[in-house]
Amino acid sequence: MWRYVFRRLGQIPIVLVVVTITIFIVVRSTPGDPIQIMLGMQTSPDAVAAIRHEFRFDQPLYRQYLLWLWDVVHGDLGRSVRLNQSVVSLLTERFPVSFRLALAAMVFAVLVSIPLGIISALRRNTWVDYLCTGVTLIGFSIPNFALALVLIFVLSVKLQLLPITGIGATSSSLWASIAPYVLPSLALGMLQVAVLTRLLRSSMIDVLSQDYIRTARAKGLMPSTVLVVHALKNALIPFVTMIAIQFGYLIGIQVTIEYTFAIPGMGTAILNAVVNRDFPVIQGFTLVIASFFLLTNILADILYSVLDPRIRY
Amino acid sequence: MTYSSPSAETEIEIVRNETGRQLAFRQFLRNRAATVGLVCLLVICLVAIAAPLIAPFDPAAIKLSEKLRPPSLIHWLGTDHFGRDVLSRMIWGARISLSVGLTVVIFALATGVPVGLISGYTGGNTDNTLMRLMDGFLTFPPLLLGVAIVGLLGPDVQNVMLALGIVQMPVFARIVRSATLAVREETYITATRALGAGVGRIIGHILGNIMSAIVVQVTIGFSAAVIAEASLSFLGLGVQPPASSWGRDLSEARRFMNDAPWLFLAPTAAIMICVMSINFLGDGLRDALQPRSWRSHRPAAKEPNAT
Repeated sequence: MWRYVFRRLGQIPIVLVVVTITIFIVVRSTPGDPIQIMLGMQTSPDAVAAIRHEFRFDQPLYRQYLLWLWDVVHGDLGRSVRLNQSVVSLLTERFPVSFRLALAAMVFAVLVSIPLGIISALRRNTWVDYLCTGVTLIGFSIPNFALALVLIFVLSVKLQLLPITGIGATSSSLWASIAPYVLPSLALGMLQVAVLTRLLRSSMIDVLSQDYIRTARAKGLMPSTVLVVHALKNALIPFVTMIAIQFGYLIGIQVTIEYTFAIPGMGTAILNAVVNRDFPVIQGFTLVIASFFLLTNILADILYSVLDPRIRY
Repeated sequence: MTYSSPSAETEIEIVRNETGRQLAFRQFLRNRAATVGLVCLLVICLVAIAAPLIAPFDPAAIKLSEKLRPPSLIHWLGTDHFGRDVLSRMIWGARISLSVGLTVVIFALATGVPVGLISGYTGGNTDNTLMRLMDGFLTFPPLLLGVAIVGLLGPDVQNVMLALGIVQMPVFARIVRSATLAVREETYITATRALGAGVGRIIGHILGNIMSAIVVQVTIGFSAAVIAEASLSFLGLGVQPPASSWGRDLSEARRFMNDAPWLFLAPTAAIMICVMSINFLGDGLRDALQPRSWRSHRPAAKEPNAT
């Protein structure tokens, strides 16, 4: 077990080096000079050269990469070309916002999908089940930003229940700090509601047909005990694993939601950095997101083997 | 999720054992949702192909005197802030969505399938190298990878197609590889080899037997590409104005949500209908071609995310 964990963790640096080299090459080989874009065309060539030197853009590619790697190992991700800020400080601003949003979306998804999944598995092929199927279908086929617009229209514009903006602003009351997260996390979490409900429904159906459930029922246990202790506990194994995997995705797919609600998160930071060709920001943020994504995937595999003793790596 | 009745399971067994495309096709037609999905998708395809003939107005024709008109007999879905006919824009938008979806899937097939085949068939170091490379792509949330590639190459439909194709390639490679690994050890492959068949012929047999996995992945990839194109266009990275794309039109509709809700409802509905019909089709194909897949305990651990 531990050997497996260490082996998986040991693979992370290798994969990250491959990823960062790829990003490095792609970033540098596509047209567009960040300094030129920032300073405009009228600047003197000397000034451009000076700034290029400062950001090491005048050095050979492999040297740039090695120097960057050296800095990364020492906890320095460089400075943004565009914003007068270090990449690390930009990250400490943006990462918590994205993390909180992903967490809120996941809490919503889990709270909705557990009852939906259980009910639809127990009342298979009834109207409740079809309703749940409908919900998951909508979750799978509506893009999160389109759902966001529908929610904004109904809950904010028409009913005026929830604010559209406000994440990142300092607020006095608890509700005022939570409220801005509600709409974005509903829109963001809908896909995960669909994924998790579908998964829980099928694993519940699977577990309920097992022999040990029949045994538990036959020996006269209360139906609720059978359901919670024997069925749900086993059905939740793939579910919990999936939560970890989906959490990694949530950080990545929230760029459209951040864009819609003007949330200062990681996604919009990357979007702006890419448009402005802010190399250090692109490199730093992709490194962090890739690591996060890798970690959640490894966590999912570990969770799976911890929860299900039959799985051995 | 199954749309089939309990008796369908025995039906599937027959399809699997006695094979025959017709049986699989009949199984597919039994599935009402899948048939509806197929018909819807065909209609959308026809609409996209015949867009210049059936669109009532020029999708880019600006007529400010007609701006922000609600749905009426002349403009069935109303007009936008430039007085452009929303229905015509939706019809032309279908062209973009479907052509992006199609190109992306073809690109992913053309690159991912050979990689997966080679990797699964040869094994060893080649397999390791290729798969670590594919893992490198997969360590990144797909949409952000798309944003990064398109953003760096410049906002343009062709770049969107390329980026989404690159995003989907490793997913195809992975699926083809694992399917190849499973098939490679089957007796009939050994028998083919014993008969003295060349590598090309063996690969042909493998390909024939993993086709159902590929077909199902094609539908998943197609709907993911449609949503991803809409997302990138929504972020301003895809189709550039005045061309119409569902995602782009949604983005512009945000400014008029209070006065003209039909502006964001039309593209939302268009995307949903399109994606839903592809998903229905895909579910139906999976049930008809891979009768056991829906029983698996851990289906999504390596499955690509829809976005």
